[in-house]
Parts: sequence; structure tokens; C-alpha cells
Amino acid sequence: MGGGARKVAPDPTSTNRCRTLGAVSDDTFDFAGRDITFAPGDSALLALTRHGIHPAGGGPLCFAGDCPNCLCTVDGISYVRACQTPAEVGVRIEPHPTNGEPPLPAWDTEAKTVAAIHRRADVVVIGGGESGQAARQQAADAGRIVELLDTNDGAEAIAVYPGPIVVARTADGMVNIECDDIVVATGAAEIQPIVPGSRLAGLWTPRAAAHVQAAGIDLGLTVAVGDVSDDAAATVVAPGELVRFEGEERLAAVITMVDGAEVRTEADNAIVGLGIHPRTGLARMANFMDVEVVGDAALEPTVPTCPSSGIACPCSNVTVEQLDDIYERGFTHMELLKRGTLAGTGTCQGSVCTPYLRSFLQDRGQELQPAFTFRPMAKQLTMNEIAAGSHLPALARTSLDSVHRDLGAQMDRMGGWWRPWTYGDTDAEYAAVRERVSLGDVSTLGKMILTGPDAEASLQRLFPTDVSTIKPGRSRYVLMLNERGYVMDDGMIAREHDGTFFLTFTSGGASMAEMWIRDWSASWGHDIRILNQTMSLGAINVTGPLAKELLERATDDDLPPFLGHCNITVAGVPCKVLRVSFTGELSFELHHPVDRSVELWTALMDLGADLGIQPHAIEALFRLRLEKGHIIVGIDTDYDSTPRRLQHEWAVNMKKGDFIGRTAIERTNRLALDKRLVGFRTEGRAPFEGAVVWSGSDYAGWVTSAAFSPTIGAGVALGWLEAVDGEFPASVTIDGLDAEIVSPHFYDPEGARPRA
Amino acid sequence: MPELLHTLPVTRIVTTAAALDGASVPEDALVLRTAPDEALVIHAEAADPDAITIDDAHAIVVADAGWSGGWIPTAAADTFLDGNCSWARPIDRPAFAQGMVAHLPVKLWFEAERTLFVVPHVSAHELTHRLREGGIA
Repeated sequence: MGGGARKVAPDPTSTNRCRTLGAVSDDTFDFAGRDITFAPGDSALLALTRHGIHPAGGGPLCFAGDCPNCLCTVDGISYVRACQTPAEVGVRIEPHPTNGEPPLPAWDTEAKTVAAIHRRADVVVIGGGESGQAARQQAADAGRIVELLDTNDGAEAIAVYPGPIVVARTADGMVNIECDDIVVATGAAEIQPIVPGSRLAGLWTPRAAAHVQAAGIDLGLTVAVGDVSDDAAATVVAPGELVRFEGEERLAAVITMVDGAEVRTEADNAIVGLGIHPRTGLARMANFMDVEVVGDAALEPTVPTCPSSGIACPCSNVTVEQLDDIYERGFTHMELLKRGTLAGTGTCQGSVCTPYLRSFLQDRGQELQPAFTFRPMAKQLTMNEIAAGSHLPALARTSLDSVHRDLGAQMDRMGGWWRPWTYGDTDAEYAAVRERVSLGDVSTLGKMILTGPDAEASLQRLFPTDVSTIKPGRSRYVLMLNERGYVMDDGMIAREHDGTFFLTFTSGGASMAEMWIRDWSASWGHDIRILNQTMSLGAINVTGPLAKELLERATDDDLPPFLGHCNITVAGVPCKVLRVSFTGELSFELHHPVDRSVELWTALMDLGADLGIQPHAIEALFRLRLEKGHIIVGIDTDYDSTPRRLQHEWAVNMKKGDFIGRTAIERTNRLALDKRLVGFRTEGRAPFEGAVVWSGSDYAGWVTSAAFSPTIGAGVALGWLEAVDGEFPASVTIDGLDAEIVSPHFYDPEGARPRA
Repeated sequence: MPELLHTLPVTRIVTTAAALDGASVPEDALVLRTAPDEALVIHAEAADPDAITIDDAHAIVVADAGWSGGWIPTAAADTFLDGNCSWARPIDRPAFAQGMVAHLPVKLWFEAERTLFVVPHVSAHELTHRLREGGIA
């Protein structure tokens, strides 16, 4: 700031009939293309007031951040209060449109990241006024670590979360303070008038008028209405009760009622004192926490006279007539008025309208109701501020991630992992599996060790298969059911020779499965040990008719039979080998230490070079397993998929003892089957995934997975077929194609190839 | 650019809480007790499950290559954690803590002059990226 003080002549287009503007400097900021001079310490609103400008055209001004009547776009950010914006050289301020909303900001890829800062305090005091300072001192005297948040010092509390955690906007970033106690000392807002004409310029709350006058601004012929403090100087006092304001764009006269007669008092400006409304928003936001409210924030709010007309909520532009309308329709509670009209949901979050909503309901015979629920945020934030400290959800990378990327794989996000969708030629990848040998990265499979005295007993109750009949060295496909008998996950159980079990689950299903097992076993009092090895073991699927030939080159140990498993060394890497097939071909899953994955993959690729080895990615895998009719839980299943509906009853042993879901299965098995997962075969092409299955003009299900099968020479799909009028349709159309309803097992239905 | 995180020589233990209380581990190993019944033993050199004795016939004691970690000087670590850790960190040193850091599951071992960041190997790439974003070279 520089230059000597001088007076600035009022703008002839002024909407603010001020006669003396006070001392300003030569420094300027931009308002709608005009240079606005200001005095040191001015807010933008005060500087604009010096120039006779009301940034929103009209409406009472509070100069306290409580109302929406000075909202502007400041340096490209909309919904910023001019009264809370320091007047600074170079700032660009635009008024909001009088009709409609301000334009959305331009996409700014260079926008500066807002930092998140996490701190800890014993006590957070919100509000730096007299009571806030007293609370701070009291806590400090007690030896407690205190954080005081004061908007005037650049620390604006905007939310309180369970923890409790108080979030504040500061110049350094968004500060998150975890604390034990919160003191709310946010003071009280002044109630603004809601009468006809209350959107005119020239209306001030008492504190605002005092603030403006203290800055040297002469408000001219000023009329006091209601209870106006001595700090704000009025020329005259309007007698009686406020009825309306009159004027064109700005105030010309105040109309009050005295002894049943209207009294007209001409005015340049009016100071309107209607009482206070404590700023309890942050305290209400923390209503389930132990929050102390002190000072004016703890005062009883004034209940103003019920408005008879006018705009009750200036943020959402809700009129008293609209309140009446919604009230007549039964919205007789504060929360309902808010929901029915959006009053209180705008920029000021009910600071202006809440007192009037209360008096509105009371006037209609309702009990005086408390203010409605207050939720974060208390003030508008930019998207950058909201995103402070956020990161995109992290995706896990298998230990072969770099191998896939080096191979030029198109990576995709699946089940919380980065996975190779295709290496560029899915048909070739598919062919390698069906005709030769291929490697697939299945490291994302959930993997778990379960042991302990009660391990088998737990598994017996957790799964619908008879675990006692799984012999050491053998494994079995299992469904995991919930209490309703719905399929939650699937996988394999392998019994080791030492009595421990090795379990696999779907990619992304391991954490849930681990919790499920832990919780149930604990509730049964079972003594077990669980180790989730999903992140510790890599897994490579060696699959194709030449898979065995390849592995025999890599190990001198015996390979397991179909559904067998063993612990052997492959290419010098210790592996647990499970012979289990998802592709429909001869397959071996090699589970191995995650730091040996690249070594194992490279060795197998080298050893299989003359066999025509080629890796396959997820797109090819999905096609392969679809031909085989292997479901993917979460893709082909729904939240109500029972084994019966999935045609997986073979995986449920009802002759064994109790297991999770058994009761529900017994019950639902007595009901008529209303839908089932089936195969669809189409000629020429496959339907799109998600396509509706039609029986004539009746909805009859939808497609969960589909692809064209070069081996079958037709489109193949899995999908839900629903009964129509109690009968399963015999013929359906899908995606404009006639579809044949067939067994889901399109390829090698006898299962000879994996057993080869 | 030097790697921030490296594969740690870890033995993972799952046993009963009582057995873990009485477990014997190599003197130069760092033990992070991640749960009452589970611990990560970070060896000075190679993982060595045989060097650990536990009075539990059913204990799972296995070498585990699935963990990455790196030491970061205290000042830099604290600056990073101030912006990326929303929970209260321990004040005493040494100390162990675990939770979400930069939206990743991280285990922290605090010493006076340095802090060890430990993550599952599958998240090491992401944590490295976020550490660098946070100004840690």
C-alpha cells in the first residue's frame, strides 16, 4: 500500500447513497472492470461500499460472513463473500449474475494443490472473540494444548467430524485438528429483515453500519429500525414495527406500523436491528459429541416476527408464499420445510432464514422448533480445498506388473489391482492357451493359510462342502455362502499333508474372506491361525495342452494330478503347485514367493519358447473361462445368487452337518425356482454384456458375460433366465439375436482336457 | 534416482497372543507386532524363520517376501506424515504405529532420527510415488 490518503468522489451510478467515502490509498483492485481504491485493512466489501457499490445489487449487508448478500466471484472462484475478502492489489472481483448462477470455473489443470495438514490439540476453540479468547486462556492455564481458530486471523473452521476432528481453511491449506474437546465461541449473527423490499440496497445490520461508519463512511440520511445499538449512528429512528421498505433498486423509505397506521420515513439507508441468532452451526454439526458452547453462541436466539411475504431464504430464493404452500401439504417441521423448499441449504446454510422458519412454524401453532441439522461444510469450499490430502484409490500391482508393461500390455483396473487386459492380440493369446501353452498372472488370487486345532471344524461350518473328505494333497472347488445362502465368493481348499489348509479366493475377495473366517471362527470359539498371503505370494497359471511338457522341463519333481497339489521347486523357485483349471485346459497354478515372480516367469517363457509359449491377459482369460462355463463371482453372480440358481448345487453337500447358509438353502429349495444362470448360444455374433433377455415381449433376464467363441464358432454367453408366468421360456431373443438356451459348459463339457 | 523402498527380509508369525509374548527372535531383528497374535520380524539380513522359537505347535512362521520398506529421516517423515496421516502418531520413541498414510496401509516404526515406512510389496510403487509427491527424494 502506498500513496497518501485522498477522498474519492462517489460513483454517479452508485447504488449506495453514501456521502463520505472515507480515506483510501491509490492501490486498487478490479471490480467488474473498474479500479477500486481502498484503505489499508479494508475488506473488498468495505472498499466497494466506499465507492457506493453493492456487489450483489441489493439485500441487507452484515459484514460478518453470515449472509449471502455480498457473494462475488473472486479471482475466478465464485460464491466468495466480499466482506471476508481482503482488499488487495490485483484482486479481480466479478459480481454474480442477478439472474442465474455464476459460470463454472474453467478447467485448470495447473491449479495449485491445496495441502492437507494434520495436527493434534487437547482443545480446539472456534472463534476468537472475547469468549473464545477466555476459553483459550482457561484451557492454556490448565496446561492443555489449545488451537484457536479465528476467521479474522485466517483460520476459518468449516467442519466438525467424529473423532472429534475440526477442519479449518487456512492460507497454508486445510488443517485437520484431532482433539479431545471443542469449544464453540462463534458468537451470534444479526437477524436480517424479511419484509417486502428487503432486497433493496441500503440496508444494514447494526454491526455492519457501525463498521462502515467507523471506516469513515457517511451513510447519509440513516433511519434506525428496531433495536439498534449506540455504536451505529442513525439520523432518525423509525417508530413502530417494520412493515416494508420502499424504493427503486435502493432504499427510499422505511414503512413502519404505529397504532394500526403506516408511517413513512424517508431514508438513504436503514439500520435494522431485529435481534440475534447464535451461530450454532458447528455446534449442531457436532451434536453427538461433547461440545461446549460459550459466549453469544450460547444465547437464546431471538424469534423474529413471522414474515408475511417476501423472500424468506435469499440463498435458495424461497418466498414466504412457498413456505405456506409446502406447510399446507404437511411439511410442518423444520427439517421438512428445509427438504420441501431447499430453504437453509444454500450459501449461508440457514443463517438468514432459520430464525424465520422457526417463527413461521410457531405462528402456525407449532411448538417452537430447534434449528435443523447442520452438516459439513459450514462454508463453501473449492474443489481443490475439498480434495486436500486426497489421493486416488491405490491399486495394487502384482510382482509381474513391470513385465506386463514391458510387453506392451493394456493395463486395466480390476478388483483393486492393475491387471493386463490384453497384450495387443487377444485372439493369439486365446489360441496359445487352447492349442499350445501360455502363462497368466494370477497373483491377484486371494491366498490364505489356515491351521490350528479347530481348522477343519471351522472350514466345515464355513463352507457347504464336506471338508473332511478332502485328502492331504488334494483340493476342492468351494462356494462361500452367507447366512441367506447367497454366494459371496468362491475358491479352492487344499489340504496339506501336515493338516494345514491352503485356501484361494477370488481376486479382491481375500480381505472379506479373511474377516469372514476370523469373525465366524471367533464366534464359535475355534482355535485357529490364519495368515493371509495374498500380498506375499505371486501366482502364475501355466495352462494349455503343453503345460505339463513345459513344467517337466522346469522341474524334476512330480507334478500333481488333477485337483491335486504339491510343494516343489520349479525353475529353481519354490512353488506350491495346484492343478486346477479355469481356462478349461490342462493348468497348473504356481504359487511362489512374490520376489521370485519375474525370475519364474522369465524362466518358463525361455523354456517354452520352442513350444510356442505366449502369455495371455484378462480379456483372453474371460473368453476362455466363459467357453468352459466357469462363473466369476461378482460378474455372473448377483446379490441373491444361490447355488441352485447358479446351477452349482453339486458344490453343496446337504448330507454333512451345519454350515453357513444351510437353513436358507433348505428353505429356498422348497420354493419354485424363479431364475437360473444358463448358457446362451447365438449365431454370427455375441450379444453385448448386460443385454436384456426377451421372451417375446416379456423381460426374461439379462446377459452377464458374452463373447464370440472361435472354437465353438458362435456367440456364447452366460446370463440369468427368469421364469415368465412361472415357466422358464424355451426360446428367447437377446440384442436382436435368436438365442438358444443351452448348458453353460460350451467347451469340453466332460472336462477331459484339464484331466489330461 | 535411488529407490526409496526395498524388499524387507521378513518372517511373519501368526500364533496365539500368549505364545507371541514369549517368542524368541534374533537380537538384531526388529519386531513389529501388527496384531495381538501376529508379528512381522524384520531381520538384519536374510529372513530366517528357523531363528524364531515359539511355544505353539500350530504357529505359522514363514518367510514373507511381500513387504517393502525404507528409512526416512525424522524431519522429512514428520513433514510428510503431517499432510498424509490423519491419526495421532505416537510421541514416544521408539514406537510402532500402523494405519492409513496417504490412503495406503502403512506400518511405521519411529526412531529418534528416522522412521521406517513398511507397506505390502503390492503397494510399494504407489507409496513411493506419494512419498515423492510429498517432497521426499
